[in-house]
Amino acid sequence: MEAIGPFLDRARQGDGEALSALYQQFLPGIFGYVAMRVPDRATAEDLTSEVFLQMVAGIHNLKANDAAGFTAWLLRIARVAVAGYYRKRTQQPALLPLPGESWEEMQIEQQGILQDHLVGDPAFTLEAREDWLAVVQAINLLTEEQRQVLVARLILGYDLATTARVIGKKTNAVKALQFRALKSLQRLLDESQAQKKKREEIR
Amino acid sequence: MRPPQERLNDRLEQIQLYGKQYRRLPGGFTSFAREDEQDPELESLVAVAQRLRTLPQIQVAPDFAAQLERRVLRRAAELRLQRSARKRGFLPALRLRPALAGTLGFCLLFLVLSTGLLAFASQVSNPANPLYALRRLEQHVQVSLAGDQAAQATLDLQFARDSLNTLASLADSAHAAAYGQALADLDQHLQDAASSIDALPAGTQRAQLTGELKNLQLDAIHILRGLLPRLTLSERLATTAQLARLGDTIPQVFSGIVTLPPHPNGHATVALSGSNLQPGAQLLVDGKLTGVTGAFQNGLLVFALTNWNGARHPHSLGVLNPDGTAAQTTAITIHMDNGNSNGSSNSTNKNGNGNGNGGNSNGNKPTVTPTPHH
Repeated sequence: MEAIGPFLDRARQGDGEALSALYQQFLPGIFGYVAMRVPDRATAEDLTSEVFLQMVAGIHNLKANDAAGFTAWLLRIARVAVAGYYRKRTQQPALLPLPGESWEEMQIEQQGILQDHLVGDPAFTLEAREDWLAVVQAINLLTEEQRQVLVARLILGYDLATTARVIGKKTNAVKALQFRALKSLQRLLDESQAQKKKREEIR
Repeated sequence: MRPPQERLNDRLEQIQLYGKQYRRLPGGFTSFAREDEQDPELESLVAVAQRLRTLPQIQVAPDFAAQLERRVLRRAAELRLQRSARKRGFLPALRLRPALAGTLGFCLLFLVLSTGLLAFASQVSNPANPLYALRRLEQHVQVSLAGDQAAQATLDLQFARDSLNTLASLADSAHAAAYGQALADLDQHLQDAASSIDALPAGTQRAQLTGELKNLQLDAIHILRGLLPRLTLSERLATTAQLARLGDTIPQVFSGIVTLPPHPNGHATVALSGSNLQPGAQLLVDGKLTGVTGAFQNGLLVFALTNWNGARHPHSLGVLNPDGTAAQTTAITIHMDNGNSNGSSNSTNKNGNGNGNGGNSNGNKPTVTPTPHH
C-alpha cells in the first residue's frame, strides 16, 4: 500500500495537491461506506461531501500519520454524518435494534423510512429499489466494526494488518469480524429474498 | 481443517490477488482455491463479498467525484487564506522584531504586575502598610475620574466609611501612628464629601447625599466615642478634636491658673476655665495624667495638688473627662502664693476652643508661651 505520511504532512499545511491525492485515494471507500447505509445516491453524495469538507477543515489538527489512522478518522466522521442524517429523519437512531423489537417489526419500520426517501427517484425500478433496500437494511444491521471491516477489506482493499489498525483489533479478530459480517449479510439478504418471494406469491 | 474464517480470508485474498494478476497476465488465473471452490457455503460468502464490492450503488460517479474535488480544494484554499490572514497579524510582526517583542513583553509584564499590585493595594486598609499610600492614590484617582460632584461625594462617603471601619482595628497603643493617619483620612474624606455636596444644586440628589453624610457623621461620633477608652492620651486628644469637627459636644479648656506654693513640695492649686468640663474630670499636666480629680469652684474646675515641685512650670494643662474626652490648653498663668503672679497672653487652640487666660495681674514676666491645642 502506498505510504500516505508525506501527503498527510503536506495536506496539514493546506497543500492542494496532497489534499487532492488523499481525496482520490479515500473517496471510493468513504462513498462506499456512506452509500451502503443510506437509501439513495443523492443522500450518499451529500453526506460524502460533508465528510470531505470536514476533512479539509480538521486535517491540520489530525495526529494520524498512516493510512490506517487516517481511514479510521474519516470513517468516524462518516459514521457521525450518517447518524446525524438518520437522527434528523426520525429523531432517534434508525435501523438500530431496539430492546424488545422483533426483526420483522424493525424491517417494516425501516422499509417505511427508506421508502419515504425513494419516492420520486425515477432511477430506481421497483425491482432494483427493493433489492437495494434489502442491502441497506442488512448493512445497517451489522455492527459498526463489521461495516468498517467490509469497507476496509472489500472496497479500500486493505490487508489484514492495516484493517486491524483501522478498527483497533488484532488480525484474527478482523478475520472473525469479516466472516461474521458476510455470514450475517448472507442471512439477512436470504431472509429478505424469501420475504420478497412470499409477497410476490401473495400478489 | 482450518477454521472457516481463515479459509474465507484466504479465498478473498486469492481473489484479490487473482484479479491483479489477471489484469497483468490475462488468462493465467485458473489454479486458485480448488479445494475452497468445493465448499459451497464458503463460496456463497465469497459471492456476497463480490456482490457487495461490485454494487453499482456504491461506485462513485465520476462527475460527482470531480465536482466534490473542486469543492474540497476551494474550501482548502479559503481556509488557507483565513489562516494566513490570522498569522499575518500580530505574532509574525513580533517574531521579526525581537526588540518590539521584548518591549511589549515588558509592558505586558508591567501591566500585569501593576494591575495585581493595585488590586492588592485596594484591599489594604491599615495605614501602617506600605501599600496604603498606593491605595490613597488610587482613591484620589477614582474621585478625580468620577463624572460629577454627586459621584465624587458618593465615593468620598464610601472611603470615609472605610476609614471609620478601619479605626476600630487600630484603637490600641501599638497602632497609634496608623490610628492617627486613619483619623486624618476620615476627616479629609468627610470634608471632601461635604465640599462636593455643597457644590450640588438644591434637589433630591443633594438632599439624599446630605442625609447620607449626616448619618455617617452620627455613626462616626458613636464609633469614635466607643473607641475612646482603648486609646492613649494623645489619641484621645486627637479623637476629641475629631468629635468636635463632627459636631459633638466636647470639653474645651480656655485657660489655666497655677497657684504655686511658697515652699517646694507644698500644696499647689490648678484652676481651669472652659466649657463642658465634667465633675470628676482628671487633671492633665504636660500631657500626663496626675490622677487628681477636680471640683467646681466659682465656675472654675479646681484641682489641689500636693508635693508640687516648685521649680516646675507646666507647658500644658488639661482635663480627661469621665466620658473619655480630653482637652488641653497652653494658656497658663502662674501665681505665687505670696500674691505675685506671672501671666501669659491669650491664644486660641487648634480647633478654636482653647483660649489661654490672658490675665497678667501684676506685670511679672510670663512663665509660659501658650501653644493652643486640646
